[in-house]
Amino acid sequence: MAYAYLFKYIIIGDTGVGKSCLLLQFTDKRFQPVHDLTIGVEFGARMITIDGKQIKLQIWDTAGQESFRSITRSYYRGAAGALLVYDITRRDTFNHLTTWLEDARQHSNSNMVIMLIGNKSDLESRREVKKEEGEAFAREHGLIFMETSAKTASNVEEAFINTAKEIYEKIQEGVFDINNEKRLKNGRKLSCCYTTTTDASISALRTQVKDRGLWRRSIYAVARNQRQLNGT
Amino acid sequence: MSDSEDHSDSGANLGAQESGSSEQPPSPVTSPEADGENDVDAVPVRKTRRRPENKPLAESELPSTDPKKEGDPANASAKTTVAQGGWGYWGSWGKSLISSASATVASVGQGISHVIEKAETSLGIPSPVELSTQVKEEEKEYHEASSEGNGQDTSAVSGALGMFSSLSNVVQSTGKTVITGGLDALEFIGKKTMDVLAEGDPGFKRTKGLMNRTTTLSQVLREAKEREEKQTGEEVSSETDKKAHYGVLFDEFQGLSHLEALEILSRESEAKVKCVLTTLSGHELAQLKEELELIKDQFSLVEFDDEEVDEKKDDSGTEFVKELTDALAELHIATAADKLDKARKSACEWVAEVSALGQDSKPLENASEEEAQSTLDVPKAWTAEDVHSSAIRSLAELTARSIEQFHKVAELILHCDSHQVTAVDQAKALSQITVILCKEILLLSKKFTSCLTSVGSHEKGDILNPLITGVFLEASNSASYIQDAFQLLLPVLEMSHIQRSAGQ
Repeated sequence: MAYAYLFKYIIIGDTGVGKSCLLLQFTDKRFQPVHDLTIGVEFGARMITIDGKQIKLQIWDTAGQESFRSITRSYYRGAAGALLVYDITRRDTFNHLTTWLEDARQHSNSNMVIMLIGNKSDLESRREVKKEEGEAFAREHGLIFMETSAKTASNVEEAFINTAKEIYEKIQEGVFDINNEKRLKNGRKLSCCYTTTTDASISALRTQVKDRGLWRRSIYAVARNQRQLNGT
Repeated sequence: MSDSEDHSDSGANLGAQESGSSEQPPSPVTSPEADGENDVDAVPVRKTRRRPENKPLAESELPSTDPKKEGDPANASAKTTVAQGGWGYWGSWGKSLISSASATVASVGQGISHVIEKAETSLGIPSPVELSTQVKEEEKEYHEASSEGNGQDTSAVSGALGMFSSLSNVVQSTGKTVITGGLDALEFIGKKTMDVLAEGDPGFKRTKGLMNRTTTLSQVLREAKEREEKQTGEEVSSETDKKAHYGVLFDEFQGLSHLEALEILSRESEAKVKCVLTTLSGHELAQLKEELELIKDQFSLVEFDDEEVDEKKDDSGTEFVKELTDALAELHIATAADKLDKARKSACEWVAEVSALGQDSKPLENASEEEAQSTLDVPKAWTAEDVHSSAIRSLAELTARSIEQFHKVAELILHCDSHQVTAVDQAKALSQITVILCKEILLLSKKFTSCLTSVGSHEKGDILNPLITGVFLEASNSASYIQDAFQLLLPVLEMSHIQRSAGQ
């Protein structure tokens, strides 16, 4: 259960490109053809091993709908990795990549690793975006690229894990300075973090002590009441 | 407490303080806070805290001496009513609860495990087993009584009521601390002075926690969970231990993630509201402040009608679902209680199944487990540890779903500026939802502890007591998390109100 790092991922891209399906395939190893529209953000988590180290991926699967943009943008901060997804059978989803990329760069850490994903590679007959185009876009903007199929699970595992490997390398190189970036101004922890720090543990203790104390008193009084009843 | 009264009240407040407080930069607010902290720390707190430890009352000790030590002014009247069923007592008790909340915060140095242990040992006083046995018995009596069709439910039911009333106290106490959640907003809106707050909020420490920008609830929880994970890893403890770690389970149900996301939205809304307020002046500013005040009032007035709770023995949970659905409908956003209902249902079904089994096997005592196995075709006999694990798991799940519900509500409120409903009405509905959820948490913990008692009837007290205590403790934590999450919605509603006003 214990892990060396916790990486926060965000999955972004137009609505209907298969973001939630990719997540479900990665966390549950199953495919669900009909999916409810994501509201705001949903979550998934999975443990992976890189270089013998346990890493927990905490994945934020955002809503693709335009109307949720202002909300989902709030969730970018603190992400170590982003999966930017388009649908190879829909040219418009590819055309919108620049906007998504700008958004992501503006609202997150500059060192965030971005993986470009052309999803639905099983639908070769309906392909509108060539693999080469995806590769070219990725090269131009410094992204990693992969084509995946959430349906057949092709490359899904790889997409998530290769992103983690890239992040891990950045940590080893010292690009992600864990100590400095660990906490943002508002106190939220950044993606890459070791387990437990002293000051926060104390806060945790406070919470625990307080809550437990509160409850102890209530049980105490309940029992006292009980005894009084028995006595009478 | 009619709307018009509220209105004039806050209006007057605003008028009186507007000039001074609106000029206050954030910093002055923090200094009285520090003072308050010391006060709370030093005197009343330790005292309250130690009482249960220093005087571990033997069960034989006379309970009647206790209320005096509470030093409650309401004692005299309380005592008389106690004999009749403890009603009046509960009312006054809320006060001591609040002080104990801040009291316990004082003892920071203790390790979690130590505290748990303390809680358990010092709780030997009320003997949880005895407690929940009685609850169980009273439940039976209640059923008998009601089946006879008469209304003599006075003392028999009151034990069970105890549970509910203590919930009401929890809610009441947060009712006070509720104000603290919006403290940041206070800086700008300039409501009551900090003095008043410090006076009226003995749990002031909590305020500090909420105001402290460097820690957030989800972070604190995450740290706590990581500690738990670490501990379990190091100790290589038994599987049951692992299964029953609330924090780990809460995270598994994505409770932490939803909480973190909710915190983000809350924080951003708060910043936006502040920003809007700085751009306004004169009449516009005063009006907006007044409007925001009305919203905030809903966050400090958590009403909890414990009489109502006792009437219902909501075994089927239909009442819960209906109340919750109705309250959610008041919000006028597209959200449903499906997930919450599912979590609650699966927990209750589990309890029902195990309880049925326990009752069947009761007369057979020692042979109970084999007997139950053969008659009911259950793969294995349930142990007290199983029930405990299931209880912790259920509490963690229901709490995580509650947080998720609040998070979704926040997203949808920010997403669609519904003009069908005011932010004040939404706030009302949300405070109602908070009460419903906390009530359900407490009901569930009660069911589980009764179940624990019947299943573990052949266990020794020192095995059973910590398990029962553990369930109560986590139920209390659950209620706290839900109430804290509710507080996070205040800035969201304020922001939404501003958006709606602008859109008109």
